[in-house]
Amino acid sequence: MTPVHPPSPSPSAAPPPSRREFLRRGLQASAALAATGGLGAWLWNRHPPGDFNRSASAALLPDFSARDGGRGMSIVTGQDRPAMLRRGLEAMGGLGRFIRRGDGVLLKVNAAFATPAILGATSNPELVAELARLCLAAGAAFVVVTDNPINDPESCFNLCGLAPAVRAAGAKLTVPHAADFVPGTLPGGQLIRNWPVLSGPFHGVTKLVGIAPVKSHNRAGASMTMKNWYGLLGGRRNQFHQDINGIVVELAMMVKPTFVVLDGTTSMMTNGPTGGSLADLKATNTLVVSTDPVAADALGATLLDRTWRDLPYIGRAAERGLGTADFESLHPERVAV
Amino acid sequence: MPAIPNARRPSAVETAVSLGVLALFAAVLAWMLVAQRHFNPAVTVAAAAAQSAGKTGTAPATAAPDLLASWPAGLRPMSAVETFTAATLSDKIDGKAELYLSAGFVAMRCQRVSLAANPTAWMEFFVYDMGAPANAFSVHSSQKRPGSADVALGDYAYRAGNVLCVVHGRYYLELVAADDQAATMMAASALAQAFVATTAVEDHADVSRDAALFPPEGLVAGSVTLLSADVFGFDQLKDVFVARYREGEGEVTLFVARRAAPAEASRLATALQSFFVTDCGGRELPPPAAPAGAVVIDSGGAFDGVFASGPFLAGVHQAPSREAAERWLVRLHQRLPPSPP
Repeated sequence: MTPVHPPSPSPSAAPPPSRREFLRRGLQASAALAATGGLGAWLWNRHPPGDFNRSASAALLPDFSARDGGRGMSIVTGQDRPAMLRRGLEAMGGLGRFIRRGDGVLLKVNAAFATPAILGATSNPELVAELARLCLAAGAAFVVVTDNPINDPESCFNLCGLAPAVRAAGAKLTVPHAADFVPGTLPGGQLIRNWPVLSGPFHGVTKLVGIAPVKSHNRAGASMTMKNWYGLLGGRRNQFHQDINGIVVELAMMVKPTFVVLDGTTSMMTNGPTGGSLADLKATNTLVVSTDPVAADALGATLLDRTWRDLPYIGRAAERGLGTADFESLHPERVAV
Repeated sequence: MPAIPNARRPSAVETAVSLGVLALFAAVLAWMLVAQRHFNPAVTVAAAAAQSAGKTGTAPATAAPDLLASWPAGLRPMSAVETFTAATLSDKIDGKAELYLSAGFVAMRCQRVSLAANPTAWMEFFVYDMGAPANAFSVHSSQKRPGSADVALGDYAYRAGNVLCVVHGRYYLELVAADDQAATMMAASALAQAFVATTAVEDHADVSRDAALFPPEGLVAGSVTLLSADVFGFDQLKDVFVARYREGEGEVTLFVARRAAPAEASRLATALQSFFVTDCGGRELPPPAAPAGAVVIDSGGAFDGVFASGPFLAGVHQAPSREAAERWLVRLHQRLPPSPP
């Protein structure tokens, strides 16, 4: 009979660690886990540049346009902007046609430059404040005013006079911040593709109004209501200047406002869009309220001693069905103040 | 660490496998580091937007000192100096950047300044480095406001209401004030004078030789302009002097461009003629009696004329009649130096 030997310990089998050894190893493992977790927390970007899980087109703006079949344009002549605005809105059927109780209203102004209001490079503060007051009086739950000046936004809003005027009118001024931009792709667009679009200030907004001055523009020919949407783009948007007509048309495709106000009380005839001299301005004594930005810009071209045919983006926008260059076809009501 | 009792030494295979696993981890780490440097473009764009949109009321970080080492009496800075390059100029001046970029722009610095006694009287002082005096004159002249008053300051200067514009060598200065009051504009002038006095330049702008090519009769004062690019919408036409002339109730524009060689001037004249006909829908008319080789094009009721003479390309733009176009062509040709036979 073969003798049975007790099993000899395997060469690799270590005796169970002592209690002290177990605690020491446990502490080492815990320290390693804590260090790894701490490193991960340190490297974690809590403020990513965008929510890339969202559908790109979901970031684009809702359609705010008024589709009630009412009058499409009013043209007011005069020099008193607030009074001209009131008359223009009355001619359109009253602000109550557009703004209802509880609406959230966003006023997209032109605050692109840190220049005084008298130079006409930015939306007129009195005009913007008056519209904000009227919207609040019409029952708007809130009015927010915004634009995205690339350089030194606070100074732009302050020095052009919009910041104090807006606040005095009871509206909220929103200076865009990083989290306000979301990459979006315009369906059918060639330029606005995965591009940061200002969307933060639109939270809760149900009505959108654009307010733009009439200006010559070194690159686009003219800057009016459609070019004004350029301020909704973030990023290195200057590259779009290489196809300025294309980007203005795509902006018109992207933004469907409730109505626009084109301020041609004075027009920047030369050296736009910055201007700089009072000599660049001409009293053209006209203010337009329109539900059709293409038509508004077509009329604005005449204030710059041009026609819509001189500004290719107007014709291209009309061809895409974004509005009409034949503003007279809207049978605008003409009133004087 | 104390040795584990009865622990055996790992075999060579186990050591090799372990090293392989560690090498794999190292490779994964290297791949992650490389991949992180190649973001999806959307991330890059959005990150840039976040960076730019996140700036709130502060000038771009710069260690640059004030535009002037010492300010004229009664003036004080109200902002830091901002510096812009060709890549960022449009952040400040939007669509007007192209005007400068096409004219040789190098860099721009600007700063806001106010009157110490009246902070609401402020101005922004822009200093454009255009690389060469001719470039500075180009952006100066092409923005010159009609009816402005020339000022004896720098190489060329004018004031138009609330703005003072100066050429000093390669620099183009623009002082844009919040009002046109005398005190504000005197301060603007003092500011410009201080810059000119304290900033040395190698060369000064002087276009008198080219300006003298234009006939003096009928010249609209101060209208001689140097256009750098896309003259009349023609992308081949660059660095052209133009001047406005009274013609009846309206005006015509004469132009002269000096080229390196007669052959180049001649080639450009042919190309411009073709541009007026092909791209602008013009109709070439029978050639005028003079100057030799000139052509006149009916551009839908306005008349353009072109000729080459020696190294010069010259002509008339938007004349109200064929007769006026031909008359101005002769006058301009008579001013140009005779070309060698």
